[in-house]
Amino acid sequence: MQEIAFYLLATVTLGAALCVVTLRNVLHSSLSLGLCLAGVAGIFATLGADFVFVSQILVYVGGIAVLVLFVVLLAARQSENFLRQTNQQWIAGVFLAGAALWGMARYIALYRTQTAPASAQPTTRAIAKLLLTDLAVPFELVSLVLLAALAGAILYSHHDKEETEAPGTERPGEHYSEVKP
Amino acid sequence: MTLAHYLFLSSALFVIGLFGALTRRNVIGILMSIELMFNAANINFVAFNRYLVPHAHGVLGQAFTIFNITIAAAEIVVGLALVLSIYRKISTVYAEDYNLLRG
Repeated sequence: MQEIAFYLLATVTLGAALCVVTLRNVLHSSLSLGLCLAGVAGIFATLGADFVFVSQILVYVGGIAVLVLFVVLLAARQSENFLRQTNQQWIAGVFLAGAALWGMARYIALYRTQTAPASAQPTTRAIAKLLLTDLAVPFELVSLVLLAALAGAILYSHHDKEETEAPGTERPGEHYSEVKP
Repeated sequence: MTLAHYLFLSSALFVIGLFGALTRRNVIGILMSIELMFNAANINFVAFNRYLVPHAHGVLGQAFTIFNITIAAAEIVVGLALVLSIYRKISTVYAEDYNLLRG
């Protein structure tokens, strides 16, 4: 049963991840990203990490995937679906990724016989205790990081009305939009 | 299920994200690939915590994963705000067109 769940979730996760990096339409990529993040949440569930599973669903699938989807809808054009979406060095990228996977697989082979110690138990109480005792200072610091990210996002995405572009400004992306279907 | 299964899954996810970050032209695609790499690291944290640490000794790996998810959320929010801001200025999302500082 556990094997079936693991292989199913792994197939969904890796297939969706491949779709994220290979699909031409960025909208389809971002939808596959949501599927991939949900698959990773399922992997957390098979590992018995209930609180991390819920956080992953809440933050990633419910927050980040939707945010990426919104930005894709705001900053995409129809004509981009007919353009090449990878750069010229993609063959070198395949070789580099394959070499990295081969190197990691050699070390992963050391853990081939490592099985789980016992059945998983609920972890929410233990995580809460950790966050309020040993990790209290990082917990507060991370809230500062979130505040800074919030302020930065508002600062950068704030639309200044007077800063509309002057006529005749060079637009580097313009020559891509001349491609017709 | 052994630990190697989970480690191989996470390294495959990481490698796919690495390939995407190296080869996508679209900046939003690069940010999505970086998210894939974050998730691979999170799977590693949780898997090592489940397999190598007895439950009585704590769940530090899972607590660290919570921090990791938070930092990833902050990163993607600022990154997407920057992408939108640049898109408003120069109307492109392709990384090779971001060359305003070239001499």
